Amino acid sequence: MKTSDGKAARSRYWLLAPIILLYGTLAVLPLTLIVTHAFEDGLDHFRTIASSVLFWPIVGNTVVISLCTTAAAVSLGYILAAAMWCSRPPLRRVLLAVTLLPFWSGVLVKNFAWSALLQDNGVINGLLQTLALRSAPLPLLHNRFAVVVGMVHYVLPYAVFPIFATMLGIDGTLTRAAESLGATRSVVLFQIVGPLTLPGVYAAALLVLIMAGGFFITPVLLGGPQNMMVANLVNYYANELVDFGSAAALAVTISIGVAVLMLLYHRIPKEGQYGRA
Amino acid sequence: MGEPSPPARGGREAVAAPGRSGPSTSALLLLLSLPILGFLLLPSLIIVPMSLTKGNVIRFPPIWISTHAFWDFLGDDRWIASTLTSLKVGAFSVVLASVAGATAAVGLHRAGFAGKSVVLALIMMPLATPVIVLALADYIFFLRVGLVGTWVGIGLAHSVIVTPYVFVATQVSLATLNPAQVRSARSLGATNVALLRFVYWPTLRPGILAGIIFAFAISLDEVVIALFLQGPNATTLPVQMFTSLEYDPTPKVAAVACLLLAVALLASLAQLGLSARAGSR
Repeated sequence: MKTSDGKAARSRYWLLAPIILLYGTLAVLPLTLIVTHAFEDGLDHFRTIASSVLFWPIVGNTVVISLCTTAAAVSLGYILAAAMWCSRPPLRRVLLAVTLLPFWSGVLVKNFAWSALLQDNGVINGLLQTLALRSAPLPLLHNRFAVVVGMVHYVLPYAVFPIFATMLGIDGTLTRAAESLGATRSVVLFQIVGPLTLPGVYAAALLVLIMAGGFFITPVLLGGPQNMMVANLVNYYANELVDFGSAAALAVTISIGVAVLMLLYHRIPKEGQYGRA
Repeated sequence: MGEPSPPARGGREAVAAPGRSGPSTSALLLLLSLPILGFLLLPSLIIVPMSLTKGNVIRFPPIWISTHAFWDFLGDDRWIASTLTSLKVGAFSVVLASVAGATAAVGLHRAGFAGKSVVLALIMMPLATPVIVLALADYIFFLRVGLVGTWVGIGLAHSVIVTPYVFVATQVSLATLNPAQVRSARSLGATNVALLRFVYWPTLRPGILAGIIFAFAISLDEVVIALFLQGPNATTLPVQMFTSLEYDPTPKVAAVACLLLAVALLASLAQLGLSARAGSR
């Protein structure tokens, strides 16, 4: 039975032709071009970008903004995931739906909304002034704070689901056993549930970190020139300086960084590996 | 084979009703998550009143109530042209992606070979590649073949990033395919094509449709690649929005954001309906 399945499967391999054609011409070929551009003069393009005055401040921005985003998204995501896990199905479905809703609007719509909320005559400052809490508007937009807010809002659902998945994978008999042995609720939470969800937390953190490092639109619309990130630098080299070699070298550097994070991601034990009998 | 395993079932029951974390803990968690849920919903809630403002600046509180932003949008040739470009790009990329993604999923279904996990990872690659890298790669490549500044170029580039979504959606519905059906069709002399047409297609249709809707929504929202490949005659709606937000934020942008949100909601409802139907089979 297995062999006949295998034979049937093999006779279907011709169905892979379209995807091979599509990826070959539109992914492999362009990406190869990038690599050849980046290394066309040996390591010269890499030296150019590393010696640029823009490079290290922008790398610094990227690291700081990505780490802040990751920390905020994972903590908020953990609370949301835990609330979902504790609630009964109808409420859980509502929580899931609200968490999933932002998936459906694009980054531009979200950023537009945030700039309307955060600007000097925006919603939040308007509210503060109406309540006479402040006379001068709080500077909420065009700074690092705004970028992190916009990014956390975008990545939060991606942080919730890996954590929620590990929570679902926890064997209920473990918590029950602990309780029957006299553990208090906080002991169960911190010594049983907490450690068992760590793989989910790591997975969420790495996923968010990988996403955050690649943001392009949010730093422009909510940040401004001092908050440019590496993706904006690629754009600067390619479209302002028309220096494809350096742009490509930067793109290769970004890809290597992402690849390292991805390798780490795949070394995390997957959800359900712990806890299930 | 299908031996019931009491301990596992006990575990699932316990998860389905985790009442033992106690009413106070879960109440506290819910209380804590309320502001987070507000944070998630707030931007979507703000867009509608923003688009209904009178006057020509986006401001709060909005000066109620006027639909002029929507009429401005419909009367502006540039915005209409970019909407049409986005629709063409979306349709083109979805056609390519559904052919490539769905056939690949069927081709790999129940296939067992050594490098299968590598092949699966390669198919998902476009999701893991930073968009900026793909955008630059497509830009440099399309400069050589003269596709920069055309909607075809943007559509081609989008087709790669949306293929994984169609692939996964098809894979999910393939899981519901009964292998006995395939075997009996084959034993009755069905050719490969007949097998695809009469056994695979009916099972796969809802999954592929759901994947198509998702892929179209992704293409409709994509900015970075569209920004790199844009031209005077190939500006997508998000690119138009992006430039307006940078240089000339009018309530028109809010109206467009509102319309995009409505499309997104419709799409998610349609997908929900499709997955419900697929689940009830």
